[in-house]
Amino acid sequence: MGKVPAFVIAKLMRFLTRLRGGGSAFPGLVLMRLRPQVLSEALGSLPGGTVFVSGSNGKSTTTTMLAAVLRAHGRSVFSNPAGGNLPQGLASAVVGAAGLGGRLSADIAVVEVDEAYAGMIADAVTPDWVVLTNLQVDQLNRFGEPENVYRMLRDLAARATTGVLVNGADPNLVALGAEIASGGQRVEWVAVSPEALASARHGVVAAGLHSEGPGVLEGEPVVTLQAASGAQARIRVGEKVIACDLPAPGLHYAVDATLALGCASVILGHAIDPDAVNRALREGAPVFGRGETLSYRGIDIELTMMKNLPSLQANIDAMTERPELVWVAVDEGTPDPSWIYDVDLGVLDHVDVLTGSKAWQWALFLEYRGIPWGQVVEDTAQALETVRKLALESGAPVSAVVNYEQMMLIRRLAGYKELEGSR
Amino acid sequence: MTQWFTIARIVPERLGLNGTTASAEILAMTLRHSGHEVSIVDIHGPADAPSTVDIVTIGSGSTSQIAPAATELISLVRLFQAWKQSGSHWVAIGLGWDLLGESLLTEQGDTVPGAGIFPSRANHQRGRFSGEVQGLDYRGRHSAGYINQLGSTELLEGVEPLLSLENPPEGWPTSEGLRGDRLFATRLGGPALALNPHWAHDIVTEVLASRGLSPDMGSPQDRIELAAGHTRKLIAQRLGVRQ
Repeated sequence: MGKVPAFVIAKLMRFLTRLRGGGSAFPGLVLMRLRPQVLSEALGSLPGGTVFVSGSNGKSTTTTMLAAVLRAHGRSVFSNPAGGNLPQGLASAVVGAAGLGGRLSADIAVVEVDEAYAGMIADAVTPDWVVLTNLQVDQLNRFGEPENVYRMLRDLAARATTGVLVNGADPNLVALGAEIASGGQRVEWVAVSPEALASARHGVVAAGLHSEGPGVLEGEPVVTLQAASGAQARIRVGEKVIACDLPAPGLHYAVDATLALGCASVILGHAIDPDAVNRALREGAPVFGRGETLSYRGIDIELTMMKNLPSLQANIDAMTERPELVWVAVDEGTPDPSWIYDVDLGVLDHVDVLTGSKAWQWALFLEYRGIPWGQVVEDTAQALETVRKLALESGAPVSAVVNYEQMMLIRRLAGYKELEGSR
Repeated sequence: MTQWFTIARIVPERLGLNGTTASAEILAMTLRHSGHEVSIVDIHGPADAPSTVDIVTIGSGSTSQIAPAATELISLVRLFQAWKQSGSHWVAIGLGWDLLGESLLTEQGDTVPGAGIFPSRANHQRGRFSGEVQGLDYRGRHSAGYINQLGSTELLEGVEPLLSLENPPEGWPTSEGLRGDRLFATRLGGPALALNPHWAHDIVTEVLASRGLSPDMGSPQDRIELAAGHTRKLIAQRLGVRQ
């Protein structure tokens, strides 16, 4: 189908789905059916090229930060919404941002891509830069084992036409970088100082593929995370040291910011303005569920993501005070939550309400840990009211530990309609 | 009368993928609910090891751990044989089971000799199965878990499958795990002993019986069974199996 009619139909689909409350990947799916080459056409001709951000965790936050920093330096950036990292999600973002002729008015695209679909997306749009955040144990139900993810990320990195930026604190990515550098690929890296690593109880929780002899990355890091404390980070970029405010406390956010500044510095040529960086990071809204606080009928609900073991551990490590009212909501979006038995619950010493189809599995885990729990309310809408009642009675804010699917549901139930997010 | 029990956890940093070191934690809790004291000892080499232990547990790992874990276990084989002869009970999950069996045929076609504790041979060349499963165990009890299995395992003489799977997807194995004299092995996550506390009870009952004791578990185990029962029921519902 021709570009204009395809975009007219896709935009109509987008309008209708948003009218129903929230966005979805559906318009993108429709557009890709009508015009299969749409990603190549829309993204392939941007003057500044395309940056792919991939890895087990931190894709959304790093992408958001990188896009914000580039914009703060005067670049016009196209990006996909948090979690919209499959081809149809990316196409949906194109539906929203492009005109009826399918053109994006952007200098550069910064997109997060799912590890398993990265190759398919790269078939349509060859990345100029690939940024790899980490390789952690994630979604074993889907990937089988992290070795398979290593191969996916390595194959993606090898396709970057300009270069690859990796997190030098992850030994798996050091090994990956060394492997592709030996094939002639340009590899840049960011460093995390021992002091910064020590700021989180469990450091960066990398998958144990290359714990011994991962290889060495040559040259100097493009940027270095010197220190991280709470929601602040100190990052050295060239001769400058930038003190940044992060969207939420945690070493993982500091590493995400370091990767974003690292990529911005190689794209902008070290012309990084500290004030612009701070403005970008300070004004950028947190990505859904990552340190976000929802307001719902007189109560505050602070969301803590439990995507996988490393992400939950990082978020728990960042908790400095014992949460008073704890709500855990987990469903089929986490098909195999066996890994919860590996979590160090830190200051989490009780749970008040458990929700979702995996609520009883969490209750069982808490029993074995000897941690008291209050009640199971499987239905999320009912649980939201139960939690609200408890919060109003106690006057305590709610700390909600949620998987992605429950987070999206809770947001919708609380009246947050912009499900696609925006960058 | 309270007694002390020791549970060994073999190279847990290397073989501890996806909650599989929790077997030790769960068995310890089950023994404590029966009024006994338990110490969990992590074993990295012969120097860490007590001369006798009541239960030996080993977890799972990914394929890149096969060579380094097998190398580490070589130094422990004599100790394992001594523990086995002294009557220890063995609980193994996934790759830990493979490495404590007779042999492991890798995806690349290499044969890795096992420690010979479990009469089984693992073959990693048959593809991967991943998903929730449920079925009836060796005593006909409803049991469930999450399987993430590479290849297949052949059981040798003297042992039986832990679980007959009900309605497994086409091409999947129809049975799972191993059960024998003081031997328990599975590829189920969940972890398996938490979701199926009757297995933990069986193991603990045998351990206690070897000292002439019987279990006396109270209300904490009722709460565990309540939560585990709900979890298994939901798994069965998701699989469309009536219990």
